[in-house]
Amino acid sequence: MSDLLKFFVKYSSWFLGALYLLISAILLLTGNPYQHHVFLTSANVVSSGLYSTAHGVTSYFSLRDINDDLQRRNSDLELEVYRLKDVIREYRQQLYADTMTVDSALTRYQFIIADVINNSINHSHNYITIQKGSLDGIEPEMGVMDQNGIVGIVNVVGPHTARLISVLNPYLRLSCKVKGESQVGSLVWDGKSPSEAILEELPKHAKFVKGDTIVTTGYSSVFPEGVPVGTVISGERDMADNFYTLRVKLFTDFSTLSTVRVIRDKMKDELAEVEKELEIKTID
Amino acid sequence: MSKTLLQFIILTLILIIAQVVVFNHICLFNVAVPMVFIYVLLRLPVTMSFNWVVSIGFFLGLTVDLFSDTYGMNAMSCTLLAILRRPILRLYVPRDEDLTKPEPSIMSLGMAVYFKYLLTTTLLYCALIFIIEAFTFFNPLSLLLRILFSSLLSMVIMLGIDSLMTPRSEKRL
Repeated sequence: MSDLLKFFVKYSSWFLGALYLLISAILLLTGNPYQHHVFLTSANVVSSGLYSTAHGVTSYFSLRDINDDLQRRNSDLELEVYRLKDVIREYRQQLYADTMTVDSALTRYQFIIADVINNSINHSHNYITIQKGSLDGIEPEMGVMDQNGIVGIVNVVGPHTARLISVLNPYLRLSCKVKGESQVGSLVWDGKSPSEAILEELPKHAKFVKGDTIVTTGYSSVFPEGVPVGTVISGERDMADNFYTLRVKLFTDFSTLSTVRVIRDKMKDELAEVEKELEIKTID
Repeated sequence: MSKTLLQFIILTLILIIAQVVVFNHICLFNVAVPMVFIYVLLRLPVTMSFNWVVSIGFFLGLTVDLFSDTYGMNAMSCTLLAILRRPILRLYVPRDEDLTKPEPSIMSLGMAVYFKYLLTTTLLYCALIFIIEAFTFFNPLSLLLRILFSSLLSMVIMLGIDSLMTPRSEKRL
């Protein structure tokens, strides 16, 4: 027994080194971000505190760019308002004609506004930390966008902070389509440039030209249909696969991300329940 | 002794905060990311026991991991760097008696040897971290560029920290 102890003491440095390497290897190889514990991500108390402080200073830096974006978006929305007012007037006239009551539109989606307190664009797997958590109604699997386009999906949630998987992370795959068409492809980041991503597996009969807009499909409850994603830069057909692979320039500027909107789908639970019932029925 | 210890702890805290708040967000020409916090590890006295050096390395890396969502990447690279630190130093300074002070610095090693020591360790660290990161997608050219330019940038910044750290009276020697 004492020999064994002596052995351990003599080679303690080797054991310690090996132990540390083992721990870090385990951390490294549990690669699935959905299994990360909140304490070991940037959503923990200490790092979110530090990042909030830093964000208090750096949030002023890119105000000019953000302001430009907002102005542009604002003018778009104003145009949209005018267009919709026209549509409403048309409907109103119809309504007078039909003397029929119209259901008030059900608002299915709701936005939760959140500040980004940490964000990276230079890793191979990028994550974003925001300053809203479960107490503000944030849950995992919620979609996140900013004034320009999609940003990511909520992944780990703490009481006051949450971590998102950025679009700039190969773990995130989103079903997207060319605006106005119905063929669906899968958007994924290839790690080359923080302003570009790839739309894969688009069926070969899909039609598109350079500069077309890519939007989300709304097949899941994460993003509503038609959230802008980016524009097509180039597309090529994969001869072996019979699929198109498009290179997409993202609308979202990840380097100046500051305020984002978390999308809450009020019909999410209902949808999940319906889908579950359907599953049970098909099994029977 | 306690004064050096206090200085060391403050330096560690400052470098970790600087790394996660400032340097992690720098990505010069899309390739060079400075890894500056390893300066703490490089400056540990050679007389310090191996167990301590490895522990400091591991927890230093883990702390940076917690902040930057890299999950074990820095912890592993730092542990490896802590293990390989002595063998690397021994390449350039075969006998411990040649050191005038236990801490590796420009003072104790001389400019040329210190420069070589810094270059080797930073290159090793950047190679480790970017190779671990490249497990999932592999693009050899960009990997090589990242390793080379990140090491160079880190080294320049660490030499800058060195000149800030060295008191004036010592510089004149």
